[in-house]
Amino acid sequence: MNIRTIVGNGIVAALYIAVSAVIQPFGFTNVQFRISEMFNHLIVFNRNYFYGIVLGVFLTNLFFSPIVAYDLVFGVAHSVISLLITIAASRYIKNVIGLMVLNTAVFTFNMYIIAFELKLAFNLPFFFTWLTTAAGELVVLAVGIPIMYALNKRVNMGKLI
Amino acid sequence: MMEKMIIGRYVPADSMLHRMDPRSKLILVFLFVCVIFLANNSWTYAILVIYTLVMAGFSKIPARFLIGGLKPVLWLVIFTFFLHLFLTKEGEVILDLGLFKIYEEGLRQGIFISLRFFLLILITSLLTLTTTPIEITDGLERLLGPLKKVKFPVHELALMMSIALRFIPTLMQETDKIMKAQTARGVEYSSGPIKERLKAIVPLLIPLFISSFKRAEELAVAMEARGYRGGEGRTKYRQLSWSKVDTGMLLFLMAVTALLVVFRG
Repeated sequence: MNIRTIVGNGIVAALYIAVSAVIQPFGFTNVQFRISEMFNHLIVFNRNYFYGIVLGVFLTNLFFSPIVAYDLVFGVAHSVISLLITIAASRYIKNVIGLMVLNTAVFTFNMYIIAFELKLAFNLPFFFTWLTTAAGELVVLAVGIPIMYALNKRVNMGKLI
Repeated sequence: MMEKMIIGRYVPADSMLHRMDPRSKLILVFLFVCVIFLANNSWTYAILVIYTLVMAGFSKIPARFLIGGLKPVLWLVIFTFFLHLFLTKEGEVILDLGLFKIYEEGLRQGIFISLRFFLLILITSLLTLTTTPIEITDGLERLLGPLKKVKFPVHELALMMSIALRFIPTLMQETDKIMKAQTARGVEYSSGPIKERLKAIVPLLIPLFISSFKRAEELAVAMEARGYRGGEGRTKYRQLSWSKVDTGMLLFLMAVTALLVVFRG
C-alpha cells in the first residue's frame, strides 16, 4: 500500500468522526441519523476508500457506541461485507448514481447482520429489528446520494486518493 | 465548542486498570462478552454483577462517568425489558391485566436481559475510560500481528488509525470553522426545514474535503521525503509491557468463568 493511500484513508476515517461529532444528527422523532454514514458512498468513486470507511466505522463505534465490543465486530463486518459487494458490482455497473443506489440497497439489506447482533446479545425480535435498523440506513444513504453526487462534481473524489 | 472537542471517553487516573497493558484489557473485554452468555440464573448473574463492581472499583473512575455511559441506552433497555415482559409466555401468571398477562418467565427474562445490557456497557466503558485511543491502536496492532502472515495489512491499518486519531481534533476545528463561515453567509445548520439543512451540507463538505486532502497530500509528501517505510525493523516510541497484574486479571476472569460453569442452571 503506498503512503498516499494510507494517509488519505486515515484522513477519511478522521472526517467520518469529525463530521459526526460536529454536525448535529438530523432526525425524525427518536430515529437519529449520522451524516457521516453517507461517506459509505465514497467506495463508488474509488475502491481505495475501503480502508478509510471501515476504519471510520470502527472508530465511531469505539468512541460512540455503548456496546463497543459487539458493534466493533458486527458493525465492521456489516461495512466490510457491504463494501465488498459494491466493489464486485462496480465491474458491471459503471454509472455512478446507479452504483450509489445499489450501495444503498446493499447496506440496507445487510442490516440483518446488525439485527442478528441484537438478537444474539439482547434477544430482540430479529425481523422487527432488521426492519427498523434497515429503515434508518436506507434514509441516510438515500439522502446521501444527491449530496455525494454534488460533492463529486466539484471535488473529483476518485482522484483524491 | 471545547467541550465537544474531547473525543473518546478516557478519564485519566492512577489506577490498576489504567496501568494495565492495553492488550490484556482488549482480551478481557472480548472474553467477557463471550462469558456473559454463560449466566442463566440469579446466582450466575450475581457473580457477574460482583465481578463488574470489583473491576469498576479497581478503575478508580468516579461513578458518575460510569452511570453517564448508561444514560444513552436507558430507553433501549426499558424497551427491551417490556418486550420480554409482555412477549414471553412461560411459567405461572403473576399479574393478570386482562388484555396482557405477565408471566413469571417474562419477568425473569426481562430482568436478566436488562442486567446483561448494563453489565456489557459497564465493562466495555471501563476499557474506553481507562485506555487512551492510541493505546488501543497499539494493543490492536500487536494482537493482530500474527495476521501479517496471511498478508493482512496490520501495520498499515494501525498507521491509518494513528493518523485518523491525530487529525480528528484538527478536522473538527476545520468543520466548525467552515460551518461558522457559512452561517455568517446566512446558511442555517441547526434550524429550518430538513430539506434545506441537508442542502446546506454540500457547501460544507466541499471546502472540508479540499482542505483535508491538502493536509493528506502534505503529510504524504513529508513522510515520503523522510523515507518512511513501516513495519520491518522499525522501533516504537510507546512500548507495551505485560505485567503480573495483566496475567492476574486474566486468571481472575478465568476463575469467574469456572464459577459460572459450576453455578449455571
